[in-house]
Amino acid sequence: MVLSQKLHEAFKGTVERITGPRTVSAFKEKGVLSVSEFVIAGDNLVAKCPTWSWESGEPSKRKPYLPPEKQFLITRNVPCLRRAASVEEEYEASGGEVLIDNEDNDGWLATHGKPKETRSDEDEDLPSMESLEISKKNSIQPINSYMGGEEEDDIPDMAEFEEVDNIIETDPSTYLVAHEPDDDNILRTRTYDVSITYDKYYQTPRIWLTGYDESRMLLQPELVLEDVSQDHARKTVTIEDHPHLPGKHASVHPCRHGAVMKKIIDVLMSRGVEPEVDKYLFLFLKFMASVIPTIEYDYTMDFDLGSSSH
Amino acid sequence: MAEHEPKGSLLQFAPMQSSVDEGFWHRLSSLKLNKLGIDDSPIPITGFYAPCSHSQVSNHLTLLAESLPSESSEASLAPEPSRGNRNRCSVPGILYNTNTVESFHALDKHNLLKEEARKIWDDIQTGKAVEDSAVLSRFLLISFADLKKWNFHYWFAFPALMLDPPANVVNLKPASQWLSLEEAESLSTACNEWRSSRSTADVPFFLVSIDSNSRATVRHLKDWEACQSDAQKILFGFYDPCHLPNNPGWPLRNFLALISARWNLKTVQFFCYRENRGFADMGLSIIGEALITVPQGWRDNIPNAVGWELNKGRKISRCIRLAQSMDPTRLAVSAA
Repeated sequence: MVLSQKLHEAFKGTVERITGPRTVSAFKEKGVLSVSEFVIAGDNLVAKCPTWSWESGEPSKRKPYLPPEKQFLITRNVPCLRRAASVEEEYEASGGEVLIDNEDNDGWLATHGKPKETRSDEDEDLPSMESLEISKKNSIQPINSYMGGEEEDDIPDMAEFEEVDNIIETDPSTYLVAHEPDDDNILRTRTYDVSITYDKYYQTPRIWLTGYDESRMLLQPELVLEDVSQDHARKTVTIEDHPHLPGKHASVHPCRHGAVMKKIIDVLMSRGVEPEVDKYLFLFLKFMASVIPTIEYDYTMDFDLGSSSH
Repeated sequence: MAEHEPKGSLLQFAPMQSSVDEGFWHRLSSLKLNKLGIDDSPIPITGFYAPCSHSQVSNHLTLLAESLPSESSEASLAPEPSRGNRNRCSVPGILYNTNTVESFHALDKHNLLKEEARKIWDDIQTGKAVEDSAVLSRFLLISFADLKKWNFHYWFAFPALMLDPPANVVNLKPASQWLSLEEAESLSTACNEWRSSRSTADVPFFLVSIDSNSRATVRHLKDWEACQSDAQKILFGFYDPCHLPNNPGWPLRNFLALISARWNLKTVQFFCYRENRGFADMGLSIIGEALITVPQGWRDNIPNAVGWELNKGRKISRCIRLAQSMDPTRLAVSAA
């Protein structure tokens, strides 16, 4: 994290402590949610997409302005069958839709025909997250996960225990699922725990990602960035402490969420649809799908976005 | 007659897979440092699982921070019960956390597994497993928490009682093909109701009775006798974490042991319940017939058990390194 980011976090924390949570609805005017609207929208998400549930998280991290059993939303074990970077390459190759950063710094709008950048051959093999400030700072070895498999020198090699261990299991009824991926597609299957918290400062939901490799070992947050649209990864996805869970997690920074949600709501209203606040998270998750295009979390209920105005 | 019956093929089960949330190791560390000290007596823990909810990935037995007892001194050393969450069916487990890497390797894994298998068998014999079916999936975790390096060595076991000889399977196919259209629709509705009711959402083993009007009802295991009179067909259903189209998941193993030991059935129609995006999916769910041929005396002794989890196909423990998120020195440096 760069210094300016840290200063901002400290500032944000102070403001959050001394200001009360939003109680008046500004959903249509500003695209933001009050605390009670967040709970209403969350209840509706859980009801319509039951893979999501409310959780209370770490007792020491509980926010007093949210009900204790409804601190944040989570869906676990969401598949991510391929990397976002490879999807974008395919799009670019076919001249299809890509995400651009415009001057307004909106960054979320899709448009047509981004000119393919000329890259040198060696660039193509490098992970594009290299340009991220977060990964520059950390000197992390490019291993696939926290999972050691006992490689470090100071740890006794488990292989020597393999033979002496007293496990004698021969069982014809065990169907062994291949853990050694021989197919490229299997190798690329990761799973994610996706959570949504309420950001009191920005008064919007905020999304967090915890990644696991194909044997369900924790991924380093930096590797999670491979599953984030690279255009967004460069500026909007950061690695921070989760407000309700231990450890560092990747998160889509909420500084533009209100503005983008306001735009989405304006578009709906211009089409004569009156947006309802309990649908907020469906809209929000659809919008998030442009940032994390390959993580197949559930927001796809059949719903009308609001009641049609007459 | 028996000579002409199909013998089928060997029924093979996809092993349960483990998944440990970072929060579990954080709470274990603080429990160890602030409460347990060098006390290494086994700790009751709770694992969580849910039916498979995607055609391409299986669900896992997951450990979270809440799997461990709370640290507060007045609370007893038992995890807080959480009931009614459909995405978190509780499974009782036990944790042996050793103080040294040597004692971790010295644990008698054969006997530890046998001990847990005996508990499952006892619950089958006494009928407790019929009342509270979660005990059928009881599990075991051994670990060594190296709090100097923030490395955690661990190994899961999911004890499965073995039928001897093993069961065969016939007519295994998607539930949508096995059942008539009316039956499949009725079963789908009944399962969704079961899963959305707070009192049954996390009850992982159940009975399905289908009457002569193709109407399906999901019922508790303890209603087995009552089902005999009014059902045309009875299926033995369970929440299947596995996504494979041709294999049931691990929980069916102890379920078959229960069915065989308690009700002495030779042919068991089993229903592997799976979901898509949180709703019953009869295309992903599978139904098959298990043919059980255990001899009369099989249930007089505790059956053998298997179930140590493999690590990438090998019989070795796993290790996770969390220095980056737990080591106070590193955290101080990265915060500077």
